Amino acid sequence: MKLMKKFFLPLIAIFALVLSVSCSSNDDGPIIDPDPDPVNNKLSGQITSDMTLTNDVIWELDGRVTVTSGATLTINEGTIIKAYAGQEASAAVLIIARGAKIEANGTADKPIIFTSIADNIALGQKSGTNLTENDRGLWGGVIILGKAKASLSGDALENQIEGIPASDTNGLYGGSDNADDSGTLNYVSIRHGGTSIGDGNEINGLTLGAVGTGTSISNIEVVANVDDGIEWFGGSVNVSNAIVWACGDDALDIDEAYSGTISNSVAILGNVSDHALEIDGPAGSLEGRFTLDGITLIGNTTTENGEYADLRDRAMGTLKNIYAVGFKADSDVELDNNAVAQNFLDGKLSFSNWTVSLPSGVANANDIFVEKTGEGETPIILNPSFTERAASWANSGNSGGANLSNFTWTYTQSKGAF
Amino acid sequence: MKNIFPLLIAMFLFQISFSQTGVVTGVINDGEYNDVLSFANVIVKGSQTGTTSDFDGKYNLKLDAGTYTLVFSFVGYQTKEITEVKINPGQTTTVDVTLNASAGQLDEVVVTTTARKNTEASVLSIQKNSVTLMDGLSLESIKKTGASDVASAVQNVPGVSVQGGKYVYVRGLGDRYTKSILNGMEVPGLDPDRNTLQLDIFPSQILENVLITKSATADQPADFTGGVINIVTKDIPSRAEYSISLGVGYNADFHFKNNYLTGDKSGTDFLGFDDGLRDNPIPQSQQVPLPQQDGELVRDLTQRFNPQMAAEREQSFMNYNFAITAGDQFDVGENKLGYLASVSYRNETKYYDEYINGQLYRKDESDRSNFELLADRTQTGELGNNTVLISALGGLTFKTEKSKYQFNVLHIQNGESEAGIFRLDNFIVSSNTIKKDNLTYVQRSITNGLLKGTHTLGSNNDWNLEWNLSPSLAKVDDKDFRTTPFRVSINPTTGEEVFTIEPSESGDASRFFRSLEELNLAGKIGLEKEHNLFGFEAKAKIGGAFTQKERDFEVIKYSLPLLNFSSATFGGNPNQLLIPENIYDPNTNSGTYVRQDSNDSDSYNSKIQIAAGYIAEEFKVTNWMNAALGVRFEKFDLIYTGERQDGTRLEDAKILEKSDFFPSANLIFDLNEDENKKIRTSYSRTTARPSFKEASLAEIFDPISSTTFIGNINLQPTYVNNFDIRYEQYGEAGDFFAISGFYKSFTDPIELSFIRRAYGQYTPLNLGDAKVFGGELEIRKNLGFISGLQNIDFNLNFSLIESQQQYSEDERTGRLDNLRTGETLDDNRQLQGQSPYLINLGFNYKDAETGLQGGLFYNTQGKTLQIVGAADVADVYTMPFHNVKLNISKSFGSNRNSTISLKFDNLLNDDIESVYQSFGAEDQLFSKWSPGQEISLGYSLKF
Repeated sequence: MKLMKKFFLPLIAIFALVLSVSCSSNDDGPIIDPDPDPVNNKLSGQITSDMTLTNDVIWELDGRVTVTSGATLTINEGTIIKAYAGQEASAAVLIIARGAKIEANGTADKPIIFTSIADNIALGQKSGTNLTENDRGLWGGVIILGKAKASLSGDALENQIEGIPASDTNGLYGGSDNADDSGTLNYVSIRHGGTSIGDGNEINGLTLGAVGTGTSISNIEVVANVDDGIEWFGGSVNVSNAIVWACGDDALDIDEAYSGTISNSVAILGNVSDHALEIDGPAGSLEGRFTLDGITLIGNTTTENGEYADLRDRAMGTLKNIYAVGFKADSDVELDNNAVAQNFLDGKLSFSNWTVSLPSGVANANDIFVEKTGEGETPIILNPSFTERAASWANSGNSGGANLSNFTWTYTQSKGAF
Repeated sequence: MKNIFPLLIAMFLFQISFSQTGVVTGVINDGEYNDVLSFANVIVKGSQTGTTSDFDGKYNLKLDAGTYTLVFSFVGYQTKEITEVKINPGQTTTVDVTLNASAGQLDEVVVTTTARKNTEASVLSIQKNSVTLMDGLSLESIKKTGASDVASAVQNVPGVSVQGGKYVYVRGLGDRYTKSILNGMEVPGLDPDRNTLQLDIFPSQILENVLITKSATADQPADFTGGVINIVTKDIPSRAEYSISLGVGYNADFHFKNNYLTGDKSGTDFLGFDDGLRDNPIPQSQQVPLPQQDGELVRDLTQRFNPQMAAEREQSFMNYNFAITAGDQFDVGENKLGYLASVSYRNETKYYDEYINGQLYRKDESDRSNFELLADRTQTGELGNNTVLISALGGLTFKTEKSKYQFNVLHIQNGESEAGIFRLDNFIVSSNTIKKDNLTYVQRSITNGLLKGTHTLGSNNDWNLEWNLSPSLAKVDDKDFRTTPFRVSINPTTGEEVFTIEPSESGDASRFFRSLEELNLAGKIGLEKEHNLFGFEAKAKIGGAFTQKERDFEVIKYSLPLLNFSSATFGGNPNQLLIPENIYDPNTNSGTYVRQDSNDSDSYNSKIQIAAGYIAEEFKVTNWMNAALGVRFEKFDLIYTGERQDGTRLEDAKILEKSDFFPSANLIFDLNEDENKKIRTSYSRTTARPSFKEASLAEIFDPISSTTFIGNINLQPTYVNNFDIRYEQYGEAGDFFAISGFYKSFTDPIELSFIRRAYGQYTPLNLGDAKVFGGELEIRKNLGFISGLQNIDFNLNFSLIESQQQYSEDERTGRLDNLRTGETLDDNRQLQGQSPYLINLGFNYKDAETGLQGGLFYNTQGKTLQIVGAADVADVYTMPFHNVKLNISKSFGSNRNSTISLKFDNLLNDDIESVYQSFGAEDQLFSKWSPGQEISLGYSLKF
């Protein structure tokens, strides 16, 4: 109504009077202030020079906060960062842009915690009391972008991370430096995030875009995220001791020819989770093979979906020393189409030492391995079939995978999720 | 050059008798209706001296003493020459004449600016006498084709195509290059994405005519290239006229279907607006907390939403419409006062049982030798649509001896409600099946006022002053768009479908409110002076104009996520989301809650100010060559207030400031003395400016196409050099032949461009140079030369247009990356929205004796680039739609004042289809629906 007032003020005065009587539905109800906490340690906008977050206050993350190239964000052990609610462009996310670094060094006793402003966790605590693993999407997530190689559509060297419009060039990832160093994440817990950050894109708990091997990522927990727990878009960084619990989408998601190793990690599905592992292949001609080594997959029988693993496109890599338990009888490890099946035949995709705690109704461990086909395709792994071949690497049993004693520090553990 | 001689004699006579004048006066009667003829012409043969009859058919002409031949003419009537008219000094000579309707004989047509413009021949005369390249569309020809609105009417004009039934492209140039004005004045657009006006909201009942100018003159705005479409509303009638018309339309595919889809309806939907049912229930300043923060408040806010989320089934009704017009004029002392009032109402219902839209196909990125496109997303569903359109036009005209004042108010109200149920299958980027219920309501209105004065000044009446003031207010409200996406999976044990809401797969259910408000203030003033130059009559023009447009755009979005609640219990019924027991309850900490998703970067305010001045001269170099030369100056400012997602904010920032001169030259060569064979040539410089949305910080995500539009605050205007040549030949009885060629070169054209590093994101850029060239052919011919066919007119126009747009760097790379084996890439492509050819073909039958009239029409346009492909996404082309229509009408009763008409649409039952095309690949559907075949019956009565 701004324009009308400006130009037809006298006319509108009468008009408004009539309207206010007849048409007041727009102003129904009182305006109630939800009384946000007074703000003192708020992070917003861009961080362009070195900065340290200390553990003597609770920090607040407001909107899209970007550490820009050249700057280092240091987060001390035991620091708590609470993110504001807000969706799309105003979703609270922490972006470590290419050329910037994060040095987040927590300890098992004093982990660094990213959570929602709604979480009643206090300084010195490792968890609050008012939220559960089903409180998702209360803020965005953590995005680390690097200069390592990613296999991108059209063999482009760089790409814009999903959800950040191209007008913000801090959203770019990719390059040719596989040894790139984005800093350190150690003993970091990311909880209750994953809201839509734009483009209708729910964000992952931890997004790693082309992060290089110079970066150290270990002892990471993601709980109750709307989208995937951790998603790798290319890059070569190695990740160890990661645990993902009760996310709305997949637990661990690999894309664009990620070529690092994920070791000793755990994926635990919740009541609304999708797959434990979702693995795509390269988007361009650059190939790269991931390694999954020592992984425990814990299923959920309530969720509508919840496969062990969905291997799609031209996925390539190695899945070894895997232990899977608690899945539904109809859950599977599936090769999605001929392209990924061909990679299996060519040795670009391999499986070894899988132990499956069999759900009732499943006779053999290798029965969960199936070859599916795209539209108009027919199976190509024949005589023996993929399922038959799986007998050589899949056994039934009740142990294996990750060493769970490395996760005693986690919220997941404290809630008895495993 | 035989006509120099009588002219010289006339001038000679003038010279010797200047000191002694007399008056000739009289009444021009209408031989057809036993009435007077208003605005008929009286000319002294062989001179430029003449007048027109007034409202009472009276004319009055001051002449020097002497003997004259007076020529009386009126469009559609036989011209009468009265010889031996003697004028004696100081005396009044009376000459009354009666003109009879011409039975296909039109010797000479002279139409002045105040001539009645609503017959075919008179529009042709406007065209003929215009100094610009112009194509006109009279009310009569609109009626012949049965077009109910401007958009469907103008597609019969050569070089004009209509996109999506709304937007007019002239010579294949889109809304950026085509300007739509109302009664010569700028009006706001009704689409947040465009600067131009959608023309389907102007019903044909309010029209006098539509004039499309394709070459620029200094008195026209500078920001058009393809053409200016001037919608001229009805003029005051010369005598009391009342009419009433009623009509119904039936489409077997759409109407009386029991499975028609609709949302909830407000009590005033039938009047084209919402009564508040769909208002945003949350005050704008209300913060919406998380349920974990303030559960009671969230519950209260969630409860305020209208719980209807599902598309419901009901029986569809047919189309119906009515219109009433009234007009009259009265004497007020010496002066005349006329009025006109018109109200029209239209209610149309569509139902598509198979509506395919927004499908996505990709090229195989891993295998270039695979030519076939891969399906990434298919989307099919059902769609119900109800559109109400009301227009009200009121006009007053006050005429004194030397002045005419007009006051017009036009209000158009349009409400469009749509309900759909769609099923999407995703294959590549995601892999899932989604069922979606969509409910939308769009309310548009435009209110336009026009105050206009024309004055004849000077003792010799050789000065003409015209001024216009025109404020308009346009509003578009997208009210409570509701979407509920369910992921569909198959329970492997039961084989039944399971419906779940999964935000990471397809987003949450959402509510969306968007409002656009645009206020225009337009004023212009023009002064003309008749004078002599090179021994001929000439006209000097000078004038100025000011336009201010201000647009407020605001988006409010909410989502309806679920907390600790299994959406599978809804069984896929969207209405379950907001039933009281499913709304979030703080005690159980579970249920559906509202979340505010909008933010500051979705809204903006933009202002455009254009100040213009011009000077022009229309003159004859010789008696066979007319020239119109002029130059226009425009100062253009764009002022922007808005915020980017990264927090960058502009407050009343002047982001564009341009001052430019726009020269134009139109030369008209008469090839014979009857002036009915002409060659026109024209040069002009014009501009194309970025739209409000383009020159902005806006970052707008479109959930339908999953693409993001990113504004470009650094956009510069495009400058265009236009060259035109046309040969035209005016025959008898409205026969007409024209062939034209044109060439346009663009500097810094603005095109929506794909961003290579960000999938699905687009931004407008100033690209490398572009050019457009083409030819047009138009033939209107009475078939009387074949005996027995004198009641039939043949009408053909054909346009061939070629455009060449250089690729942006990103687009070029993206295309090279995805070439198929053996495919090569040209340097450029055609412009988006440009049709390579347009064809209109029609036969009209009219028998004045029986009152029987009919017409058979064919219209199509060539394959048009609709969506420019990006990287592995192929280009989308709109395929030709072959539209054949038949109209039959019969007039009867005393004075044939009752008419019954019958109209058949889409006789070929063609589908509307857009496809992905790629080298060597089978076409794949982007969208497809069937408009069905409509039969309409109408009755109108004039009294």
